[in-house]
Amino acid sequence: MKFILDAEQRLFGETLDKILTEADTPSVIRGWAAGVHEPGLALWRSLAETGVLALAVPESAGGAGPLPVELVTAFHELGRHAVPGPYAETVAVATLLDRLGDELERGSEWLEGIAEGRVVASLALPTLPALPAPAQASAPYALDADAADLVLLVDGDALRAAAAGEVRASLDPARRLPSVVAGDVLAAGPSVAAAARVACDMGVLATAAQLVGVGRRLLEVSVDYAKARQQFGRPIGEFQAVKHHLADALVGLEYARPLVHGAAVSYGSPDFGRDVSAAKVAASEAAYAAAKIALQVHGAIGYTDEYDPSLWIRKARALHSAWGSPAAHRARVISSLAGA
Amino acid sequence: MNIVVCVKQVPDTATERKLRSDDKTLDREAADGVVNELDEYAVEEALKLKEAHGGEVTVLTMGPGKATETIRKVLAMGADKAVHLSDDALHGSDALSTSYAMAQALKKIGFDLVVLGSESTDARTGVLAAMLAERLGVPQLTLANKVEVNGSAIAVQRLTDYGYDKVEASLPAVVSVVEKINEPRYPSFKGIMAAKKKPVETLGVADAEISADQVGLANAWSEVVDFAVAPPRAAGTVVKDEGDGGAKIAEFLASKKFV
Repeated sequence: MKFILDAEQRLFGETLDKILTEADTPSVIRGWAAGVHEPGLALWRSLAETGVLALAVPESAGGAGPLPVELVTAFHELGRHAVPGPYAETVAVATLLDRLGDELERGSEWLEGIAEGRVVASLALPTLPALPAPAQASAPYALDADAADLVLLVDGDALRAAAAGEVRASLDPARRLPSVVAGDVLAAGPSVAAAARVACDMGVLATAAQLVGVGRRLLEVSVDYAKARQQFGRPIGEFQAVKHHLADALVGLEYARPLVHGAAVSYGSPDFGRDVSAAKVAASEAAYAAAKIALQVHGAIGYTDEYDPSLWIRKARALHSAWGSPAAHRARVISSLAGA
Repeated sequence: MNIVVCVKQVPDTATERKLRSDDKTLDREAADGVVNELDEYAVEEALKLKEAHGGEVTVLTMGPGKATETIRKVLAMGADKAVHLSDDALHGSDALSTSYAMAQALKKIGFDLVVLGSESTDARTGVLAAMLAERLGVPQLTLANKVEVNGSAIAVQRLTDYGYDKVEASLPAVVSVVEKINEPRYPSFKGIMAAKKKPVETLGVADAEISADQVGLANAWSEVVDFAVAPPRAAGTVVKDEGDGGAKIAEFLASKKFV
């Protein structure tokens, strides 16, 4: 099994990093949180132009995928730059549409739109169908559905069209949480349930990659801050207590990263779901730990809304339990090991 | 139109750049190699000209084996094929011998138009376009911030301190472009994957009919005698505003030709 990214994957990641660095994401994030979607949607289109969303869409519908390893590379950068928008949800919708194929009248039209960046999609999963029954509970929201062109709801084994309802308060204001108003049934039956399970796993995988990226950035800014901030006549990074904290954050993220890549590589194998859950557990915990350490290293300024790291700190906390908490995913790893 | 765009791999300007203590040449292993930023504008202009007039874009680079990374990136942006001039004998070549070697390669490749960036961010001589034009016996249209091709005629706006000159010539020609000319595109995922299949031809000194006694460190016309680490940047000048602050700022800007 090969875990090292090849030259093309690295170049793709570097390209995204450049685009996102130039895009000045903090201002895009603050706009998105206030319901000003246009800068975020413009960024969505330019990312689609480089092929980010086509990675989840099959070649038959104008995409390049599904390419889980490249998706993970892209979502790592989306996380590092805290890009707002329902990217993981759109990947999950693309997976769902791809799996359902001709069962949906407008399936291929939507897939083409997703690949080209014309269709921003969101998905409400009131239960997470990929997880074992007791761990399935989720929230009945469709992330950023108020900015989406296509909102779907998986309701048991029925797939419904849906519309954005009232926007609820969110831990991360740049992750807007509208409730959904259910519409017509688009498809129903065991094929929907099966497709929803894979779609759910892809959403979890994308989120895990995003978490590692969020954690990475928090570590980067904390290290920079520890080198610059002086206390008792020296940079605070010279104090062991600070150094050790930062080293712990790095170790957590470095342990999570191969699990995320490993899960991407196991796409299509019977272990995919278990590997995705293991990745989500590690990524959630590593990113959240990095966020807590970042907050502490920054001291009081870390708490301020105006200071950019807060945008990542809040995202780490929200993504920690989005698409299933570590406990829920740990339950799946345990049940899959017990069943094996 | 057969366009050749010359690019150079340079050490990342964001990292610390070093010269080697043994032969006083650039230490290419000490820093990450990136596409010379100013060459990206040349690539973009070449691709735009191809899109408008048809033809193909060939990337030409001279550098060690590591420079293939740079070739891949330019191919990913949309160039059609690449020629990599690479030979240990070329190591340490100065601007004159580099222009000789590149000219020999260009004669072998064939071209209607050669496009370059204004300079490299490592050597910063900015003379290669002029030298190439001279060696190839074709017109030079340097420091362009606008390029127009019409049949076999080419016209550029050459950026100057006081505005721009209109320069016209006929193809084949050599053009260098400034960074104001365009906004270089990013490689897309499809472009990156397509680049894997694009042909890259590697030429050695003998393949390009380059005389080994005219290139390399031993035959360079210029020599690095000594070098030292740049002193840390001195503190800036503090101007106290005593009612004449605005005038002093304007004076400073004028002295630097900003206004």
